Amino acid sequence: MTNINRRDFLKLIGAGSVGTGAGVLYGEVTKQTVELLIPQVIPPEDYSPGIATWYNTTCGQCSAGCGISVRTREGRAKKIEGNPVHPVNQGRLCSMGQAGLNALYNPDRIRRPLKRNAPGGSFTPISWDEALTTLGRRLGNLKIQGKGNQVTLLSDGVRGHLDKLFATFMQELGSDNYLQYDFAFPNALYKANKILFDIDTLPYYDIKNTNYVLSFGADYLGTWLSPVHYSLAYGHLRQGRGKRRGKCVQIEPRMSLTGANADEWIPAKPGTEGLLAMAIANVIISDDHYRGSDIDDWASAVGSYSPSAVSGQTDITESEIKRIANDFIRHRPALAIAGDNIASGTNAVSNILAINALNYLAGNLNKEGGVIFNKKPSLVQSTQQRHASYIDMMGLRDAMSTGQVDTLIVHNTNPVFNLPNSSRFKEALTKVPYKVSLSSFMDETTDLVDLVLPLNTYLESWGDDIPEPGVGFTTATVLQPVVTPIYDTRSSGDIILTLAHQIGGELPVALPWTNMEDYLKAGWKEIYSGQIANSAFNSFDQFWRKALESGVWGENKTCVPDRKNKTKQVQLNNITIAPEFSGDEKDFPFTLLPYISQTFFDGKGANLPWLQELPDPMTSIVYNSWIELNPATAKKLGIKEGDLINVQSKEGSLQAPAFIFPAIRPDVIAIPIGQGHTQYGRYAKNRGVNPINILESIVDDASNALAWSSTRVKISKTGKHIDLVKTSGVTRTLGRQIFDKPGKHS
Amino acid sequence: MSISVGDAISSFKIPILMGVMVIFGFGIGYLINYTFFSDRSPVQPINFSHKIHVTDNNIQCMHCHAYVDKTPSAGVPSVKKCMGCHKAIATDKPEIIKLTEYWDKQEPIPWIKVHDVPDFVYFTHKRHIKAGIECQTCHGPIETMARVTRVSSLKMPWCVDCHTEKQVENGRDCVTCHK
Amino acid sequence: MAKITDKIKEYTRPGYYEKFDYHWTMSIDLDRCTGCGACVVACQAENNLPIVGEKRFKERREMKWLRIERYWEGEYPNLKLKFLPMLCQQCDQAPCETPCPVAATYHNQDGLNTQIYNRCIGTRTCAVYCPYEVRYFNWFTYTWDEPLEQQLNPDVTVREKGVMEKCTFCVQRIRMAKDKAKDDNRRRVKDGEVTPACVQSCASEAMQFGDLNDPNSKVSKMTKNKRAYHVLEELNTKPSVVYLQKVEKHD
Repeated sequence: MTNINRRDFLKLIGAGSVGTGAGVLYGEVTKQTVELLIPQVIPPEDYSPGIATWYNTTCGQCSAGCGISVRTREGRAKKIEGNPVHPVNQGRLCSMGQAGLNALYNPDRIRRPLKRNAPGGSFTPISWDEALTTLGRRLGNLKIQGKGNQVTLLSDGVRGHLDKLFATFMQELGSDNYLQYDFAFPNALYKANKILFDIDTLPYYDIKNTNYVLSFGADYLGTWLSPVHYSLAYGHLRQGRGKRRGKCVQIEPRMSLTGANADEWIPAKPGTEGLLAMAIANVIISDDHYRGSDIDDWASAVGSYSPSAVSGQTDITESEIKRIANDFIRHRPALAIAGDNIASGTNAVSNILAINALNYLAGNLNKEGGVIFNKKPSLVQSTQQRHASYIDMMGLRDAMSTGQVDTLIVHNTNPVFNLPNSSRFKEALTKVPYKVSLSSFMDETTDLVDLVLPLNTYLESWGDDIPEPGVGFTTATVLQPVVTPIYDTRSSGDIILTLAHQIGGELPVALPWTNMEDYLKAGWKEIYSGQIANSAFNSFDQFWRKALESGVWGENKTCVPDRKNKTKQVQLNNITIAPEFSGDEKDFPFTLLPYISQTFFDGKGANLPWLQELPDPMTSIVYNSWIELNPATAKKLGIKEGDLINVQSKEGSLQAPAFIFPAIRPDVIAIPIGQGHTQYGRYAKNRGVNPINILESIVDDASNALAWSSTRVKISKTGKHIDLVKTSGVTRTLGRQIFDKPGKHS
Repeated sequence: MSISVGDAISSFKIPILMGVMVIFGFGIGYLINYTFFSDRSPVQPINFSHKIHVTDNNIQCMHCHAYVDKTPSAGVPSVKKCMGCHKAIATDKPEIIKLTEYWDKQEPIPWIKVHDVPDFVYFTHKRHIKAGIECQTCHGPIETMARVTRVSSLKMPWCVDCHTEKQVENGRDCVTCHK
Repeated sequence: MAKITDKIKEYTRPGYYEKFDYHWTMSIDLDRCTGCGACVVACQAENNLPIVGEKRFKERREMKWLRIERYWEGEYPNLKLKFLPMLCQQCDQAPCETPCPVAATYHNQDGLNTQIYNRCIGTRTCAVYCPYEVRYFNWFTYTWDEPLEQQLNPDVTVREKGVMEKCTFCVQRIRMAKDKAKDDNRRRVKDGEVTPACVQSCASEAMQFGDLNDPNSKVSKMTKNKRAYHVLEELNTKPSVVYLQKVEKHD
């Protein structure tokens, strides 16, 4: 090329101009979008932008009553951690507690009050004024007509001042019908402790200092009573005491998380654990390890339960029983505890009595490392007596279906999901003329009511709590809102107090406060002047500030047990220790073991996405339900993992994929409780199955609790297959150096 | 008959050159946009002048940007803070009337961000102020600006250059600034 | 070329990191660990891990920087299930660092194996090289159902499609602790001042975190325990996560 003609020159200039234009345009398009710098109109007093503010309050995810610290930034909750000064969880927190943020910021929360247009019709949003006026007028009329007793309040297990408020409200309304219902409430344990030790509150099980934990089904690391506290104790038992490493033995038909961590896992025949305990007691007495004055009574009570007599029924060899008994004695202080599936059969109370007796015979009562009795909570009453047993719930069902309940107020509990179909509770519920639900979520029960009053979550509410089981000394925690309510919702206390003023009459006299914060403060002022004044505080305000700041108030004492020996007479003479099951063994060859899921608890956690995505600790399955089968059973029936199985009980059937679970008895199948919601938001709805549905309505006569481990089933293949979603692939180490130092494996 | 290599090239020459020109022009165009139409000095909803406040009336930076030595963000003053003075001062000026309108409506002023770092960058005012860096080091002669203009690129090389020069401890480690 | 090999020789020399201020290390006592999963949720909350949904989970595209592995031993009824919390081991000789073409992952002076999101171009080579399989790739830009996004931690970047991510030992908490130390005119962070989210939540106190260069730190003492070992130690990756063997012998 030597020269350029005019035509080419213009071409080049043209190309250059096009390029330039494109360049300018490109620069314009790729500019950062304009971001705005929005100042506050009025600066908030409680935080500075850019740094975190922590609030101490109480966890509301289960009944253990752990203290939590919530990290907030710019008025939004970011993270929940344990409150380090709280005696129950000491700064630690379980997965459910941490997922509380998913409840607060759940996209499926009910955002405003709802009213049902016509029976069976849809919901329409209404204002709080309209909602509370409607309800207030109805309750007021009933009260004036002297029909206050036709109002029933069914709540979850609330404690402290909210419980007191509910009780006062119902009393002033002229109603005795205030019940609490939680599926996981250990009715049988309370009953057995009452019979044997004459105590109303749960004792403190000192796992931390014990040498030997003999647990009959109690999944104390997973779901039983206060798992965070027991996990702390477990860590200490294993490695916190130098050379004195405690031993854990777990007796249960299906390996729970605790079973996986125990040194020995012993699958006794379901329901016969009490028998096993009797045999152990028999060995203790016959080997002359117990020398109390009432030895003759005990000897006659357990005389017929020799290891050889029990061995066949429990499916545990005689020598094994003797070994366990001797270990239990040799390792004193030891601890025998019972819970979960073992405490939910037809012989629940008998089982626990027998197991508790072991603690007495081995001398583990009121001893460090044994069972330590809690003093009655002196600050705020914890009212276990309001907890409805299954029989109480059936009483409510009958009252509802015979028209004795005009208005039913359901607070934060979900009986339609947590009661079996055979209870016919749902059908009775629909017969109630006016049903109200106080709830944050559209659960199965709330879906059936006529008026929905959306609640604040516990992170937006005022309240107080005392942990149950207690920690050996008096302690109470305060709940305070950590964020302003994000929707048009109100707290339960505020709603009840507003209703009281709405109804008028004596109610505003008995409950003159207009909001929960004032009510709570007034209550605590009374406690302060009665019990706390003259202590380290100058005034109530100073005390209250301190209580809110630390989130917990307690006598700053280490465990001081109530030394009185509380065992009454030998209570083992007339107990029915043999289990009963629904359905006979021939037609229904498998025992169905529904178990409380560690991720969803009794179903309450199923709407929290973090928990749906948390692999189940034992199986690593997410987002579904499954049926656990022993490999031998599966092989015999030709079932592979993921095969859809039909489970048939006398009361109904369900279908779920099979999971071959190595650690379950061949005559038992297990299904986790928690999934199978038909409502309850996008993360829970239409996912998995609810094993409670197919349970038969049989109860433990001593405690009136539902015997939810006593249903027999038969299973069959459907021919369909569902891939289970789980994280673990290879479940064996295959000789890889994973748990050992190099060179040790081969 | 044969086609020489030179002829082949020359027949492609003009399209190739055109391509080169397009790319060259693109660069020039981008540069023009970057230099003359950049977002370094946007027009704000209220014509706030740092010059009047700082140079003329001698108000200290920290009087308004109160969080600058305490938190990562400097803290743009709240509307209440502005009104704290302007309830009484210069109430008749048109810009102050605008401010009063925002206050009466209890609405925040939608300021346009001039200094912005991406979300994956952790920047803290506190550490820089505590290390004795002057506001002007990054914000330029802000006290004389009638409208805030960004003088620094706020790009990574600019940060790293200063960190290198001042020998900041771990100043060149990625996770010091990248979160 | 010689320069690069010299450098590699230098930092693979044993004890190289000891001359720096910190050598962040975690110890996990398997005798205490119950496998409950509290740490998994703590990590998800702290580090803005997305909720991927059932479909993505099925495709094995879950994003969990910390997972609990389970291994069965024995046959019914003499069974044992062992749990192993598995997270980025922050190897001193990390196999993932060398193949990255853009040096988006590298070892910093605190002994952290860092991942710089805006530098990552998503070749996924590092994930292939990692023997612990603890690197997770963003196949999609995940979103949060409104208003769940209000929970997101402002101290941690929300990652986008095409970026590799993994456990950072909660580098944002380390940064905050250093910031606080400087405010208090301290040269160093005190032992116990930094607790990653998982360590903080652990109910059985199985996890400890601290500086290995400080001989008096809790974690230093744990690493001297007779039971201490590294997972897949024979690969010589020199992990900064030390496991303590489960005690199986009992009388």
